[in-house]
Amino acid sequence: MERFFLAVLLGLLTAACSTRPEPGEAYIVENIEMPEGLTSQVGALEFLPNGKLIAGFTRGEVMTYDTTTKEWHLFAEGLHDPLGIHVVSNDEILVMQLPELTRLKDTDGDGTADLYEKVTDAFGVTGNYHEFNYGPEIDSKGDFYIALNSSSSGGTMRDEVRGTINLEGRDGETGNRQMFSTVPYRGWVMKLTKDGVLHPVAAGFRSPNGIVVDNEDNVFVTDNQGDWVGTSPLFHVEPGKFYGHPGSLVWTKGWNRGNPFRLPLDTLDSMRTRPAICFPHGILANSPSQPVFDRTGGKFGPFEGQLFIGEMNRERIVRVMLEKVNGKFQGACIPFLDSLGLRKGNNRLVFAPDGSLWVGQNAHGWLGDVGIQRIVFTGKQPVDVYTMKLTTDGFQLTFTQPMQDTAALNPENYLFSRYYYLYHHNYGSPQQDLEKIPVTAVKLSDDKKTVTLQLASLTPGYVYELNLGNIPSKWGQPLRNSLVCYTLNELLNN
Amino acid sequence: MIRYIFLLLQKRLWITLLFTVSISALALGQTDRLTTVEMEVLPGLQFSVVRFTVKPGERVKLVLNNTDDMSHNLIITLPGTREKVVEMANKLGESGPAAGYVPKTSDVLWTIPVTAPEKANELVFKAPEKEGVYPYVCTYPGHGTIMFGAMYVSKSGKMPELTKDLNIPESRRGDKVDGDAGHPGHAHEKPAPLHPYTPVPPYHYRVFIDGASPAAIAVALPNEVSYCWDAGTSYLRFAWAGGFLDNSDLWKGKGNAAANVVGSVFFRSKTGFPIRIGEEKPSEIVYKGYRLKKRYLEFHYQVDGTDVYELIHEATDGTGLERIFRIPEVTDPVTFYTASDEGVTYAASAGVWKGGALQLTADQARSFTITMKKIGK
Repeated sequence: MERFFLAVLLGLLTAACSTRPEPGEAYIVENIEMPEGLTSQVGALEFLPNGKLIAGFTRGEVMTYDTTTKEWHLFAEGLHDPLGIHVVSNDEILVMQLPELTRLKDTDGDGTADLYEKVTDAFGVTGNYHEFNYGPEIDSKGDFYIALNSSSSGGTMRDEVRGTINLEGRDGETGNRQMFSTVPYRGWVMKLTKDGVLHPVAAGFRSPNGIVVDNEDNVFVTDNQGDWVGTSPLFHVEPGKFYGHPGSLVWTKGWNRGNPFRLPLDTLDSMRTRPAICFPHGILANSPSQPVFDRTGGKFGPFEGQLFIGEMNRERIVRVMLEKVNGKFQGACIPFLDSLGLRKGNNRLVFAPDGSLWVGQNAHGWLGDVGIQRIVFTGKQPVDVYTMKLTTDGFQLTFTQPMQDTAALNPENYLFSRYYYLYHHNYGSPQQDLEKIPVTAVKLSDDKKTVTLQLASLTPGYVYELNLGNIPSKWGQPLRNSLVCYTLNELLNN
Repeated sequence: MIRYIFLLLQKRLWITLLFTVSISALALGQTDRLTTVEMEVLPGLQFSVVRFTVKPGERVKLVLNNTDDMSHNLIITLPGTREKVVEMANKLGESGPAAGYVPKTSDVLWTIPVTAPEKANELVFKAPEKEGVYPYVCTYPGHGTIMFGAMYVSKSGKMPELTKDLNIPESRRGDKVDGDAGHPGHAHEKPAPLHPYTPVPPYHYRVFIDGASPAAIAVALPNEVSYCWDAGTSYLRFAWAGGFLDNSDLWKGKGNAAANVVGSVFFRSKTGFPIRIGEEKPSEIVYKGYRLKKRYLEFHYQVDGTDVYELIHEATDGTGLERIFRIPEVTDPVTFYTASDEGVTYAASAGVWKGGALQLTADQARSFTITMKKIGK
């Protein structure tokens, strides 16, 4: 089936090459009318097998939306900040709320849930306002991944908590100035196996408001810039690894190294796994949220298989192009859609059966917005960077359309700068060692879609930010996005 | 407790504001004096001091103490140029971070650089000689359209009425800080709906609430009786009469608060988990979930593997609760413990009371009801 779609897609693309594509916006943004009286802070967004949307809201409502009749219906209520839904069937879902993962089931067929069954609550809660939980995301084996936010230094622990307290999970000397993990598994990604047991998978997360599993069961998680997070990342999460925020380390099996905040910075740095993608702060994204893979088979445009990620702090959806280098994921991020009527607070993303991308917005006291919008591919092919790949001495950019020769071959149209972010307890990091890197050679493929750029130098551990000049398509249409950032962890071996 | 801290914090900010204004007033005619403005950051992208006045040429010390959990800067601009400067800052794009989000323009007078959470920066400057309204704004990406205030440079120290001050964000022109909680608190305001439906008891919320674990379930019943059943401990923690919850703190901003009980608590458990099956104290109590039965919650938990179901209704007369228990598979006798200082009298549909403990045979324990009534009026 997938191959069929790919074939169709390739056909479409080939057709696009031979004839002048229709100019105009490739995507439009539509507003979904929300029910009166609802505070439309969207925490969860999915589609049911019957094609209806199902959404969870901050004040505990779970509602369905019939996309044909445009009617809203209350499915469940009273939940504690639902932030993720997994759909089991038309009348059964799993909901991730603050105290537990819960099964909601309509057992009597009246259209509302009557069973609120605990699936797992095998993790601690101190009652700190920031103990958000994310997921569940299912893998091919039927196991679920959830992510548990660290507790906020801006809040406290309540008098009565759930779970064993270990105060070594917070920064003792400066009070609790950094996010902390004083009850089990705050700051961890967890896996729920079919036997109902919740297993710790990986530590080191600060505010992992986005989790997705790819077709090969790779787990990817976004995190938010802040203490120990120089700029917001996308991590490829593997069992037993540590992703940088120290507090959660105290819940590592057999941990005997005391307060992890007291470990030397070098030690922590050597323990951590770097992000597959860095979203440069203030440039690409300040607060990335849920990633979703485009599995629409071309219904959402030419980016099948790529990741789309919401951004909370501006009117933007980000696109991520991953590749594996030396067996490790890294790659590039690019603004996919800016403005066009899109609001801020893009917290939850889901593809509808018709291939449109639905976006649920949230602010939750931070910068954001409320409501639900829908991004629709108009069928007009965008002129955009399709992939950015590492070569031995630079990068290869493939565009969605053939580009104009002279512009595409002009090295001045490719302005690279590179920088990195510090790993430290401070909140965020300024760009370090910011330097322009000249392009020394440009080659254009015969089909005019791929440029190969040779750079004066390539240094791992840096973000390579590329600003594209005015490179129109062969038919004179402008590039949608001129900014793309590649996170270079690994160099290609010759 | 958290609510009080929050209120205290707000109070402190108001005191800061009043203090600032009074210092400004004192400074009249003394241009060599230094006026200090202590600026903090409130949830929802707001400067704590949304406006202040200084005299022309006066020395001003502005301290930005970032009490928020996001980074912010503060830029003072020439009168009427705030929006233009924000627009230019937005256009900095990828060069924004390196520039501290400060655009290069003569419209920018002074700048407090990007200040991380929990950090502070200060700026000392001489106020312009020219009277006017000088905006200050955070130009961090996305903040500029909401997060701003006004510095009035004037000899008289007069400012327009707060409600009519177009130089400050609309949300700050009222007397409240960070409104919008949907709390029907003020009689003169039309209460904002809490939900897209009108909640009719019985209904429930899972909330953080004092007197229970963070896995609490609060339930509103008819007759203005409410209770808190704790999924963290699997027993009824407390009950109250005269209202349900005020979630306005909880639903405001980031929710760094707890739900507040409306009404008065008439029952508080002192016994802990009340059920014993057989002779031994239970070693493992597992919460399983709840089912809505005509919208009433029936809780399900296990005591050492034995399923217990507990459906809670309001008492039919007087203030109290009716707890309908089912332990369908039980084969041992069951004891239900109470304490005399829990604020209620107990009655049971079956079994024998012995020193505050209800003793039930296995047969009786399969289905029994315990009624709790508030003592006194």
